[in-house]
Amino acid sequence: MIPDLTRAVGVPRLAGISYPMSRPLGNPHDAEGQRAVLRATLEVLPRALEPDTYVELPFVWPESPAKARNASKGIPPPPIVELVTKKPWLLANLYSGRIPHEEVLCAKD
Amino acid sequence: MSIDSYRFLDFATRQVMKAWAARQQAGVIPFTRLAKRLSECTVALVSTAAIARNDDCPFDQERERRNPWWGDPSFRVIPLGTSESDVRLYHLHIDPRFGQADLDVVLPMRRLTELAQEGVVCRPAARHYSIMGYILEPDVLVGQTAPAIAERMRADGVDAAALVPA
Repeated sequence: MIPDLTRAVGVPRLAGISYPMSRPLGNPHDAEGQRAVLRATLEVLPRALEPDTYVELPFVWPESPAKARNASKGIPPPPIVELVTKKPWLLANLYSGRIPHEEVLCAKD
Repeated sequence: MSIDSYRFLDFATRQVMKAWAARQQAGVIPFTRLAKRLSECTVALVSTAAIARNDDCPFDQERERRNPWWGDPSFRVIPLGTSESDVRLYHLHIDPRFGQADLDVVLPMRRLTELAQEGVVCRPAARHYSIMGYILEPDVLVGQTAPAIAERMRADGVDAAALVPA
């Protein structure tokens, strides 16, 4: 779903798909669509002869990105998003990967 | 790369994920060619949707709420035949309602069973797995969780595993 992030961590082989997060196989109860995605994913296995093999699956999400995002509008933001909204200077840590350690956080409280 | 799944994300999340992808260094990528035909393989699935059975321990959301830089690096076993009514999704970064409505959206065990019936794979493994996908510091995940899952897969005669990000 986010192939360049998945690829960047060094998975042996990767099937990329242009589907939104939370629905990697497709929509609920679309058994036929889910089966096609799983089949195409597994068929990468015998085709992959070397590390970092990357195959883009041809499936197209049936809604616009805006509509896909709107479907999850009622979900509360993740704790890290709430934190950097309240303390925007911490966004720099998130971008750069400088993770504050828990004991430091507790000491500040 | 023509797939742009960032388009489904809001602007801030997109920027953070791009920064993390750019900074990652894959190092040596472990790789073993498939030793059998796919139709002879026992296949296991690993979902990152933080799925836990109702009779198992939930993923720790409270600790993440207290420290949003932390994510639960443990795993849960999801036996074949488990359905959406037997589980909950404990992931604070995805919309759990889709997988809760139909578990195959995130852990396609029924679809895998159907592919075995069609002869695409030999059989689904008896046990499948879930981890939680928001782990900024992956030491425990890589050093303890992944080996523990691999050990169980070996015991079950698994030939291939598909990791399903959520």
